[in-house]
Amino acid sequence: MTSAPIIARGLVRHFGSGDNTVRAVDGVDLQVNQGEIFGFLGPNGAGKSTTVRVLTTLLKPSAGSATVAGFDVASQADQVRRSIGVALQDAAIDPLMTGRELLDLQSVLYGIPRDRAQKRGEELLERVGLTAAADRRVGTYSGGMRRRLDLALSLVHEPSVLFLDEPTTGLDPMSRLTLWEEVRRLNREGTTVLLTTQYLEEADQLADRIAIIDHGKIVREGVPRDLKSAVGAPTLLIDVDASHTETARSVLARFGDLRPTSEGTLGVGLTQGAEAVAGVIRSLDEAGVHVRHLELNEPSLDDVFAEATGYRLEGAESKAEAPPAGGRRGPR
Amino acid sequence: MTAVAHVAPPRSLTTAIHHTFRLMQRSVLGRLRQPAALAPSFIFPLFFAALGSASFQRMSKLPDFPATSFLNYTAAGAIVQGVLFAATSSAGDLATDIEQGFFERLLVSPVTRTAIVIGRLGSAMVVAVAQVFVFLGIFMAFGARIETGIVGFIGLTVSGALLALTMSGLMSGIAIRSGSPEVVQGSFPMVFALLFLSSSFFPRQYMTGWYKTVASWNPMSHVVEGMQGFMNQPLDVDMFLRAWLIPLGISIVSIMFGLRALSNRLAAQ
Repeated sequence: MTSAPIIARGLVRHFGSGDNTVRAVDGVDLQVNQGEIFGFLGPNGAGKSTTVRVLTTLLKPSAGSATVAGFDVASQADQVRRSIGVALQDAAIDPLMTGRELLDLQSVLYGIPRDRAQKRGEELLERVGLTAAADRRVGTYSGGMRRRLDLALSLVHEPSVLFLDEPTTGLDPMSRLTLWEEVRRLNREGTTVLLTTQYLEEADQLADRIAIIDHGKIVREGVPRDLKSAVGAPTLLIDVDASHTETARSVLARFGDLRPTSEGTLGVGLTQGAEAVAGVIRSLDEAGVHVRHLELNEPSLDDVFAEATGYRLEGAESKAEAPPAGGRRGPR
Repeated sequence: MTAVAHVAPPRSLTTAIHHTFRLMQRSVLGRLRQPAALAPSFIFPLFFAALGSASFQRMSKLPDFPATSFLNYTAAGAIVQGVLFAATSSAGDLATDIEQGFFERLLVSPVTRTAIVIGRLGSAMVVAVAQVFVFLGIFMAFGARIETGIVGFIGLTVSGALLALTMSGLMSGIAIRSGSPEVVQGSFPMVFALLFLSSSFFPRQYMTGWYKTVASWNPMSHVVEGMQGFMNQPLDVDMFLRAWLIPLGISIVSIMFGLRALSNRLAAQ
């Protein structure tokens, strides 16, 4: 493969028509390089999953173009499907079948010869730690087991590009760590991974590069460390009595730019660094503001997100939620 | 892993047949693994047959009654009910696949698209054949006889399979269009009405007025009467024409409806 495994140029996907048109993906430019783990970060409804659904040929682009594994997603959809592995959100797995039966079915759909499919199936079951549960119906699996089986199913045909759509949503911390480790391992073996997530920590831990998407547009893209450095100053978060909020806000503004925070908390980017904390406390005290809680944070991806979008990712729901596509669920 | 994409052989008829067979196998397994969902397609027809036999046994003594016993008469109707019920449930499973996302798992793979529908139809036919065997076994255990022998047995089996094809094609189309198992199940009463407005439960010669007119125009009456012929009368061509050709003809339309629904759904994406 000579070009980047995933390239999108001016990608648009809208739903509805006329006044009801929702541009779920609104001119996305994206390039994921060979061997990267690329994190696609954004709240629900931002356009992450819709972008993935276009790139995996489940949706046709309304405008723009995209190639995956060197094939055009619109005109060479079949070649794209043969080259990619996809684990969609919710791990949609038939609960009535066993893990082994599903792997076997997946192998048939990808045209893998029977003897090779059996060997590959055993390898994958062992790899994701499901050998003992392979002959149990998936309906009896835990959420983590389903996700691991979903990952195994997406790897049956040894794809060069892997799409993971919110692979750890709803998982307990231990299952999340197990899945992260497996993603890292796959990547070390050469698989290019595009991972969507709404978890900052996940993007920070796993991704070589990230793109932040909001209202269908990419608002930041780069290496997490560089993006955080670019935000600059550490953030001081304080909780004060509601009656002192305005006074506190004017005091904080003297020490740097006010930053978006969750409700009830005030935040300021300290332009003179952590050394300014003592001065802030003193000034607040002099202004008669009683500080209930204080926290100093180095720049995080949430700061990057807040700086780019004007609101915090944690607990956020984008207003770009699109209407349901077909009979299942709406794009995200 | 080498991270080199496995390139499957180009799509061919063999591949399409293979995909269809494996998806059919999955659907049949899914049916068998939900006994609670399969049971009504056996219990209700047998209940109605038992009720009818107990209540209307003496009807078989009426002149021109087309069977030697009410049990023999009602067997075909019971088979038709059971097959239609099971075929609807099978299409409901397709809607569940759409609702729960398994359908998308298939679409993101290089599966032959038509195999998704045809495999489902095939599974409905397999289940229908099994149902015919079970129904006939139970009816014969209670004294029913197939007057046309083994040929009639084959005739009934093929007819049951064709009816399943017809019904599952129609209901699969509804499943794909709606993506909702509730809509599929909600459509079934219309089919049940069609069944009640036919000669499935009473011979047409004893009907009067609008009921008789509707039943005479209802293709279901002719299919059921063809099947009743296999059970109760000497073999003749008319039975095959009615029990085979009518469902075969309608199934072509219903399969096209199902495939068109799939095509429209894919195009809409």
